Amino acid sequence: MKNLVTLVFTLLIGCFSLAQETFPVNGTTNPNHTVYAFTNAKIIVDADETIDNATLLIKDGIIIQVGTKVSIPKGSVIFDLKGKSIYPALIDAYTNYGMPENKTIYKGMLPQMGSNTKGAYGWNQAVKAETEAFKIFAGNNLSADEFRKLGFGAVLTFQKDGIVRGSGTIVSLADGKENLLILSDKAAALFSFDKGCSTQDYPSSLMGTIALIRQTYLDADWYKNQTPLASRRETGGEVNISLEAFNNLQMLPQIFETTDKFNVLRADKIGKEFKINYIIKGSGTEYQSLDDIKATNCKFIIPLNFPIAYDVEDPYDAINVSLTELKHWEMAPANPVAMEKYFIPFALTTADLKDKKDFWKNLRKAISYGLSEKQALRSLTSTPAELLNISDKLGKLKSGMIANFIITSGNLFDEKTIIYENWIQGNPYKINDYSTIDVRGNYDFAYGNKRLYQLKIEGEPDKLKGYILIDTAKTPVNVIVFGNSVSLNFNPKDMKGTIRLSGTINTESLTMNGKGQTPDGEWLDWSATFKLITEIKKESVKKDSVKKDVLKYGQVIYPFCAYGKPLNDRDGFNKIIYDLKTRYDAILIKHVTVWTNESEGVLKNQDVYITEGRIVRIADDIGAPKLAFAKVIDGTGKHLTAGIIDEHSHIAIANGVNESTQASSSEVRIGDVINPEDINIYRQLSGGVTTSQLLHGSSNPIGGQSALIKLRWGKSPEEMKFAKADGFIKFALGENVKQSNAGDFSTLRFPQTRMGVEQVYYDYFTRAKEYDAKQKSFEALSEKVKATTTPFRRNLELEALAEILNQKRFITCHSYVQSELNMLMHVADSMGFKVNTFTHILEGYKVADKMKSHGAGASSFSDWWAYKMEVQDAIPYNAALLTQMGITTAINSDDAEMGRRLNQEAAKSVKYGGMSEEDALKMVTLNPAKLLHIDKKVGSIKVGKDADVVLWSDNPLSIYAKVEKTIIDGHIYYDTEEDLKLRQEIQKERARIIQKMLDEKKTGAATQKPVVKKQKLYECESIEKEYLREN
Amino acid sequence: MRKFFLLLTTFITITASAQTKSILLMNGIAHLGTDSVIQNSYIGIKNGKITEVIDASKTKVELGNYDEKIDATGKHIYPGIISPNSTLGLIEMESIRATSDFKEVGSTLPNVRSLIAYNTDSKIISTVRTNGVLLAQITPRGGIISGTSSIVKLDGWNWEDAAYKIDDGIHLNWPKMQIRKYLDEDNIYPGPYEKNKNYTKQTADLKKLFFDAKAYNETEVVEEKNLRFEAMKGLFNGTQTLFIHTDNAKEIIEAVNFSKQNGIKKTTVVGGKDSWMVTDLLRENYISVIVARVHSLPEHPEDDVNLPYKLPYLLQQAGVLFCLDNSGDMEAMETRNLPFMAGTAAAYGLTKEQALKAITLSTAKILGIDNSTGSIEAGKDATLFISTGDVLDMRTNNVELAFIKGISIDLNNDQKKLYEKYKKKYDLK
Repeated sequence: MKNLVTLVFTLLIGCFSLAQETFPVNGTTNPNHTVYAFTNAKIIVDADETIDNATLLIKDGIIIQVGTKVSIPKGSVIFDLKGKSIYPALIDAYTNYGMPENKTIYKGMLPQMGSNTKGAYGWNQAVKAETEAFKIFAGNNLSADEFRKLGFGAVLTFQKDGIVRGSGTIVSLADGKENLLILSDKAAALFSFDKGCSTQDYPSSLMGTIALIRQTYLDADWYKNQTPLASRRETGGEVNISLEAFNNLQMLPQIFETTDKFNVLRADKIGKEFKINYIIKGSGTEYQSLDDIKATNCKFIIPLNFPIAYDVEDPYDAINVSLTELKHWEMAPANPVAMEKYFIPFALTTADLKDKKDFWKNLRKAISYGLSEKQALRSLTSTPAELLNISDKLGKLKSGMIANFIITSGNLFDEKTIIYENWIQGNPYKINDYSTIDVRGNYDFAYGNKRLYQLKIEGEPDKLKGYILIDTAKTPVNVIVFGNSVSLNFNPKDMKGTIRLSGTINTESLTMNGKGQTPDGEWLDWSATFKLITEIKKESVKKDSVKKDVLKYGQVIYPFCAYGKPLNDRDGFNKIIYDLKTRYDAILIKHVTVWTNESEGVLKNQDVYITEGRIVRIADDIGAPKLAFAKVIDGTGKHLTAGIIDEHSHIAIANGVNESTQASSSEVRIGDVINPEDINIYRQLSGGVTTSQLLHGSSNPIGGQSALIKLRWGKSPEEMKFAKADGFIKFALGENVKQSNAGDFSTLRFPQTRMGVEQVYYDYFTRAKEYDAKQKSFEALSEKVKATTTPFRRNLELEALAEILNQKRFITCHSYVQSELNMLMHVADSMGFKVNTFTHILEGYKVADKMKSHGAGASSFSDWWAYKMEVQDAIPYNAALLTQMGITTAINSDDAEMGRRLNQEAAKSVKYGGMSEEDALKMVTLNPAKLLHIDKKVGSIKVGKDADVVLWSDNPLSIYAKVEKTIIDGHIYYDTEEDLKLRQEIQKERARIIQKMLDEKKTGAATQKPVVKKQKLYECESIEKEYLREN
Repeated sequence: MRKFFLLLTTFITITASAQTKSILLMNGIAHLGTDSVIQNSYIGIKNGKITEVIDASKTKVELGNYDEKIDATGKHIYPGIISPNSTLGLIEMESIRATSDFKEVGSTLPNVRSLIAYNTDSKIISTVRTNGVLLAQITPRGGIISGTSSIVKLDGWNWEDAAYKIDDGIHLNWPKMQIRKYLDEDNIYPGPYEKNKNYTKQTADLKKLFFDAKAYNETEVVEEKNLRFEAMKGLFNGTQTLFIHTDNAKEIIEAVNFSKQNGIKKTTVVGGKDSWMVTDLLRENYISVIVARVHSLPEHPEDDVNLPYKLPYLLQQAGVLFCLDNSGDMEAMETRNLPFMAGTAAAYGLTKEQALKAITLSTAKILGIDNSTGSIEAGKDATLFISTGDVLDMRTNNVELAFIKGISIDLNNDQKKLYEKYKKKYDLK
């Protein structure tokens, strides 16, 4: 009976009800200004300050004083908390407590071009800046109780719906009228990449979502600087509740929800553009990219949603659990400690837990992985309070702050610790029903005339188990405690039937005694005396060794999937930041056949020396390299070519390749949604691809802006981008843009014919010209005049088109039939721009002369046809014919599978049309480099160019040629030998984690069934319906 | 090459019905399809059959009495390539519903026959045989039992005329253990996979169907005619093959056991992406595999990036009979790339002759037509072609002359015509 305390509150909750100044009273008023004193407690003021044997004084829901020298006023209610601890109540900075449920309305198959929100709101239904959580908050005692039981006293709550979600409010978890529960009405602004219940089509992709957020910032800024409301009507201005609200949100802490580590970087990029450092609601995957996460300089709110193990008993089923999932299962609990080690400030939240009851279990797991208890406490108290600008009221136990605190039996993070009471705004909430006294412990026990036995009582306070120990024999005892009464039942070994005892607990003398009846009905006396023992130490020793065991987990690999590699073997999280200037490889390839793509043609038996990312020398015999670390490769019988460049690819794109909802989406940027963890990057490397242009899809005449990447496997999205490359944009013609094959419902969006397509271009470019002129004349104004002029509204969509007119952005146009090719060239000529590249262009051979005079290039398939009406005249001789006509022609993939066989696709022109082998190879190297304006850097093997080269086992145009090494910037990114090693490592790592999962399952842990996963492969026509609903 | 063409026009018959003149192919490098090569060969063709195959380095050649003698010095001669599991002639333009004839409504349709929808005039066919593919197994798709396939020559006036082996097999799509659920109410946008709750019922239904069909076909006096049961007769007497389409290892195991339990005489797994994991089972039960398109991506991110390329080699090593198909996206038009699938298999482990066998003789064996075709051997059909270079490599594949049952077929096609037309327009050579 250690720590015997009775905290029996005679004052019940009703008496504490918070006073409501403006409300009429039914009956007699009940003012209450009692002072409560909690004495002799260990008070944890905050993570850094603990006061032993201290007193906490509260009144009217506010802390009056904390310390060892507190004078308790007369007439105070005093609670003696000897042996107990008081912690600040926890704060959850990310909840939807007390919010109305989101209603998803199924809108059917017809497109919805505009917002369904009625009123003077903004154009997009997913921008709900006007939502104010404090106005719709309705307390809910049942869900509040869930939080209170865990030790929480206050939460930030908001409506989880939309991309811009308006403001959240901080509320206490007390029970009562909302008027008094709201601690901060507008506490934070909330954002996400999830359009939520919006039924409007736009945005249908992640890149569209990002564009929408950016345009909203610009619009809000413009709106702010408009003429005053009163005179707006004269100037043609508008009233826009959403933008008004958006501007009002700006003074609040800005919280952005993310669903994976790359979305953190994406959110941060938006933030930096508009000079905002978001607080990021993380996903629990931050540890997989810590350097980049750290570099954002953002603060975080982190969930504890650790995945449960998979059923991996069946090896065939287990194949469906990816290495990423296996590793994440093992490493997810290390996320908080990783953040701590990297000094990234973070709060912890119950958000994303399937069951809130897992909160403590998971938090303790995180601690066993190394998270410090101090950090854990900070992340649940002072950090969330600071993030939400309410640290003057919440998060610590200091005078003047709100009296939100919890009373525990000891160290909050210890598994055995019980939270007794959770006081919120000065109101007590009992967590464990302990009118119950904690009677757990060892006793000297005697009944009737029997000798002294050992009685042991253990278990949870509400589920006690007892044993009488006679030598080594154990007799179970049923123990029930209610108030100060205790009853014990047991079947003694030497008697038939049950002995029933009833008694009183004396908390002063640490004894229990009373009367009982034998099975025969004889009355007897009994007593039990508490005694201290030293058993506890043993247990804690055991626990430590368990802790160390748990800590053995694998390393982070970059990228975090199969064929990723750890970059440092000392620390599980460290990633070396590659600095090309200080760390480079040097490679000398000897006796190799070099396909230069230059006037030298194919050179036999050459040495090629590469260092500092460049091709340094090509000669007959270079001799031994001076650099000791240089790698020498024997190229005898092998072929070296420039890296393959795929002019048209859709790999490595996250959440949607088409923003298909409008005829133009020039505001969206593939560069915002690069996914460096697409296994197809590695697979393309295995086919010798070094550079890929990632294109928007072809579902609208004016698509999105392209991204050009080098396939630097293992690097971050930004590190993958081809430095200083010209910007490109995707256009499209024909069946896709007129939605011919998009189903019977897709008949609303303009255009539906090739006639309409032309008008889209004329209209947009006419507007872009006007926009451009307006912008230029606005920019020309002096600052003084600017200040008094109606501000210029930046329009991301027209801005991209103006870039085309100003030769700062270039077009890759999806196209098939000759009529539409002709049309676009006419539009371009009359509007003053050029079509840089026609892609697909299967009927290019029919208008090759016109293309030649317009100056367009071509990027085509070798032999595709017969998949739709507009390709019925496609011929495999197209590339050869175009080349003969003097048009820069490339062969592209548009397909992750074919992307790794582009050399073979190029070789088909040798067969179809008799192209020379050198010219054929150029179609996948130098020519696409020319089309992409990067031929000064890549595309041929020439001294000074980037060392992007491929070593082949055979003539690169032969079906028998295999890639042996793919080198980018002088680094080997694919190597057949290393590939084999990686495969062995993958197998080993999988086997190791699978064994661990099996062990965990044996302990009775919950598991989930593995399911087949098929990666979504994008091609031009891929349209993702509500891609975010999967989340 | 142009000259050669002119020379040949004298005996090229456009879609002829029978060989009239005898032919001798001289001095060509003959790749027999059996794994062996004759560097200097003499191949005699009469009445649609190969009459003699002579290795000039071993046997003295007597130039018998042939109407035509064709010098193939330095050129390569191959048996006609066979495309199994193909929808050639059943689909013309993928996005146009009116041109699609490979998928009937219903889930159990053994009596639905592909042959009668096979369009000999499909514009795709002429672009396919140009690369050496001369026979195809025309296969229905969809449902659980899609229907009955037939093997056709890729030259013919009509389907009756093109038919090579009628109703060779029945195609069963093994029920999936895991299926996709859909994200939207209209079942258009597929979401993540989940356990197929109907799997047990679907397999039980299949068992019942096979039991019933077997019993029906053993009944002496049939009470009422059942077209479906009758269509399955050949499965039980060994005249037809059961083609079970499945990729997943566990499903393959289930499918093999199913076939054993139902006394199916001949079974082939089609697809078989995981077949390398269960080779013992396949070999021991004499189950062959039609390997899905070699030019594919691996199923899982952890897989060897080249696993689909290596799969034929893995089966070869394990002693499993296999051949290659080209099913998948745009499969009809992609059929012309079937030789290159074999080329890739050769790059990743097979010898070139083994790779050739995987699109000729092995295919013929699996389809049950190896008695009459699939290799260059005396007594077999004279279905073969001459290429100036290695036919498995796009760099050298160049088919000059092709025969189906001794008849030289037209190697021109609409694409070549357009090419010539525009060369003329631009005055190019």
